[in-house]
Amino acid sequence: MSTVVEELDSIGERRFEPKAKDINEDIAWAKINTDVLRSLERPRPIFWVIFLSAVALFGVGVACEIYQYKTGLGVAELRNPHVWGLYISTFIFWIGMSHSGTLLSAILHIMHADWRKPIYRFAEAMTTFSLMTAGLFVLVHLGRVWQFYYVVAYPNERWTWPNFSSPLVWDATAIGSYLTTSVIFLYFGMIPDLAICRDSATGFRRTFYRLLSVGWQGTDRQWSNFRITYLTIACLLIPLAVSVHSIVATDFAVSQQPGWHTTSFPPYFVAGALYSGCAAIITLFIILRHTFRFEEYMTIPILEKLCKLTFAISMVWTYLNLIEYASTWYGTDVYAKQALIYRATGIYRYWWWAMNFLGSVVPFALAFKALRTHVPTMMVVSLLLNLGMWIERFMIVTPTFAHGYYPWTWSDVWWPNWIQIGIVAGSFGWFTLLFMLFCKIFPSVSMYEVKEMVYHRIRARK
Amino acid sequence: MNKKTYLMALFNDFDAAARAIASLREATIAGFAMKDVTLKSPIDHPECAAELGSRPVYIQIFSLIGAVLGSTLGFLGISSAQANFLRQPRGGFPIVPLPPNMVITYELFILTAVFFTITACLVVWKIHSDKNSLYSVSISVDKIGILVKAEPSAIDAIKQIFNRQHALEIMENARV
Amino acid sequence: MSLDNLISNWSKLRVRRPQVDQYKDSPYKWAMVIDLDSCTGCNACTTACYAENNLPVVGKKRFLEGQAMHWLRIERYWGEGEESTQEFPEQGAAFLPMMCQQCESAPCEIVCPVGATHHTPDGLNSQVYNRCIGSRYCSANCPYKVRYFNWYNYPESAWPSPLELQLSPDVTVRSKGVMEKCTFCVQRLTEAKSKARTEKRNVQDGEVVTACAQACPTSAIHFGNIADSSSTVAKMWKAQQVELSADKQKKDMKHEKMPAASEVASGVGASVEAEKLRGYRVFEELRTYPSVVYLERIRSGEV
Repeated sequence: MSTVVEELDSIGERRFEPKAKDINEDIAWAKINTDVLRSLERPRPIFWVIFLSAVALFGVGVACEIYQYKTGLGVAELRNPHVWGLYISTFIFWIGMSHSGTLLSAILHIMHADWRKPIYRFAEAMTTFSLMTAGLFVLVHLGRVWQFYYVVAYPNERWTWPNFSSPLVWDATAIGSYLTTSVIFLYFGMIPDLAICRDSATGFRRTFYRLLSVGWQGTDRQWSNFRITYLTIACLLIPLAVSVHSIVATDFAVSQQPGWHTTSFPPYFVAGALYSGCAAIITLFIILRHTFRFEEYMTIPILEKLCKLTFAISMVWTYLNLIEYASTWYGTDVYAKQALIYRATGIYRYWWWAMNFLGSVVPFALAFKALRTHVPTMMVVSLLLNLGMWIERFMIVTPTFAHGYYPWTWSDVWWPNWIQIGIVAGSFGWFTLLFMLFCKIFPSVSMYEVKEMVYHRIRARK
Repeated sequence: MNKKTYLMALFNDFDAAARAIASLREATIAGFAMKDVTLKSPIDHPECAAELGSRPVYIQIFSLIGAVLGSTLGFLGISSAQANFLRQPRGGFPIVPLPPNMVITYELFILTAVFFTITACLVVWKIHSDKNSLYSVSISVDKIGILVKAEPSAIDAIKQIFNRQHALEIMENARV
Repeated sequence: MSLDNLISNWSKLRVRRPQVDQYKDSPYKWAMVIDLDSCTGCNACTTACYAENNLPVVGKKRFLEGQAMHWLRIERYWGEGEESTQEFPEQGAAFLPMMCQQCESAPCEIVCPVGATHHTPDGLNSQVYNRCIGSRYCSANCPYKVRYFNWYNYPESAWPSPLELQLSPDVTVRSKGVMEKCTFCVQRLTEAKSKARTEKRNVQDGEVVTACAQACPTSAIHFGNIADSSSTVAKMWKAQQVELSADKQKKDMKHEKMPAASEVASGVGASVEAEKLRGYRVFEELRTYPSVVYLERIRSGEV
């Protein structure tokens, strides 16, 4: 009897023995500062490779946009009824990506999940920059971009206002609020770290960081106000983030088209947003970890937790996806059912099946510890998941145009042309450009929170 | 009265700092008050700051004001804008439709609350900022500082308390 | 001031359209009846529309790409033809002239972010080119896909000199990046209304017609004012038992079936009352409340 227990014990011990190395709790705080501040200096050469290719991609996008701006949207081979094309699909993709930054920084903050601390800063930056990229798509897709400000409710002598019942105006309000709040949240959470940068910088950098750190000295009054303000903004940011993607979903759900007019769209979009965002965080996690030598802070156990989170969200997404299919299939709306059948069997069928495979089957790779802890595999898997989520957005927008209500507009073979693809590629360049610049200028690992984390872990150990 | 001296001691760990604050509080030194003691730390440490006595934070009142203002003014603003935009009848919707206005009101409520919160925090920081105070770069690394503003007569007694807790360094500024 | 306006007119501002008898007190509500039985698919209406409304001719390549600007299009559907010894047997072609349906509850109106498309007092779904920013949401939400976008700057290329002299001076030439669609020839309506106003009367039936109705060789397109119950179009709507503000028409059941051949032969079915009710509106069940009634085609086999 006792031998069995001993055996079980030994199995248990073996199983729960941490294999991968987490953050060293006894790390000197000065080392944290130097390690993170080093990322503001000389990164690995791969940084320049990424940065310059991002600039080149962005250049391609800008060239395409200039051509389209000068000639008209017709050069993008948009047409009736395919009036939106890739622009709106990619817009949703970028908006979606922004949501996980909030998940990590705000939701996990109020849930006291301390493993988020080394990685939330770059996730929050990802939120901000992917929102900026999404905003670009709104502009790119407008026919008369030079009059975009008509959407903004500004007082004017003619008493003309935007149409407040249009989901696009809700979008503008929601994305504007979200972008503003995200920038505030990102900046505000960075103030103690900016003070660290100020204290170790010289010359014009010192002036720059001094202005940004608004006289932070770490006094108890500053800290207590900081804590409450940060918590309050985090609490306000969570419902805001949920509302933003719900509102993006209403762009489709409020409209009448078959395949869009679905009440389950808002939660479906929010789940999809968190999903693609988490996958993107894994990708960026791996890139940053290597580029800026953050192996000691962005550790494998954190990657594992991220993967588990992504897996859970992917299952929520799969569930909502299946719910949508089921409710359409067993529902009475013949148009919606026909739209669903068209997605699965029409000319976009390969994409539809690829989306279901990448979105619902590939995440099972995250369920295996051996794969989860293997960095190159995770890079590939996270990219595949992102690809799947991008296709999901493409499959939401395009087949409804190809097979809407009106039979006269059916079976219209339409694929995006090089202008659209160029602009979409340019958006990836733009995002990477901003993100890499951010990581170069601002500390992408939160120094003070890593210190808090190791401090509390040591306290807990004692 | 205005002529006060700034004194800052640096400590290696929070426990020593907490002990120093406790003994400052217990000691009765003329020309010195607990409200002039400031803790400067690289991380947020509510337990240690609690030794300083209650220092309430009023930020959330401003968040509430912002939220209330944002939602009421937002809703009224949108609705009256629609009411004045007479050439805007849309089929299927009344001129002032409630659900869309609620959506925008919701966004404005959060945005205004955030603005009020951050502005309140920055203003509070500005109110409490003190140009002449002492600061050490090592505070942003790993040291804990205790800043004291006191009459010059009280300085020696305070220094003794700091030294008893093995302060690493004591900085003094008598310019004012 | 604005708050005062909001409070004092609250109940008026909360009125939801469309309502029953919405146009009872208003002088005009423009509407159409298109008799598909008379339509031969000759495209004269489309041509008239191009001429009247300064529509750019986009050329073969862009037409094939789907960037045509025909506000009024003749759709051709092929059904089953029939074997017959007649000289011209039924080939099964069916034509449907499709233009903006001027919906009373237009899906395009609620989604336009800048309010560039809204309803006019005489029941038209208007498009304000100056206000349009080209988000194309209206087109995405239109079940009929009858909104056309200026993908290129057509005024530059569509009318090489001296063709610009053919442009109608009453109609704007649209620049790139704005949405446009059938207006029920609003320039003609405005002219007729202002003429009638000078003469202190209402526009009379038949005084103004759209370009397509004018050009139709078989008079398949009827245009008029259904707020005036004595107009031809109002009578046709009534005869077909189509109610503007209903999403499901309550039709008299005895008219649901075609008259039997014996009835026709005996002359009973020849009277208007016994004729099958042919009037329908496209996608009525989507609650768009269109202003265009189509009269179903009578096939030779059915008679």
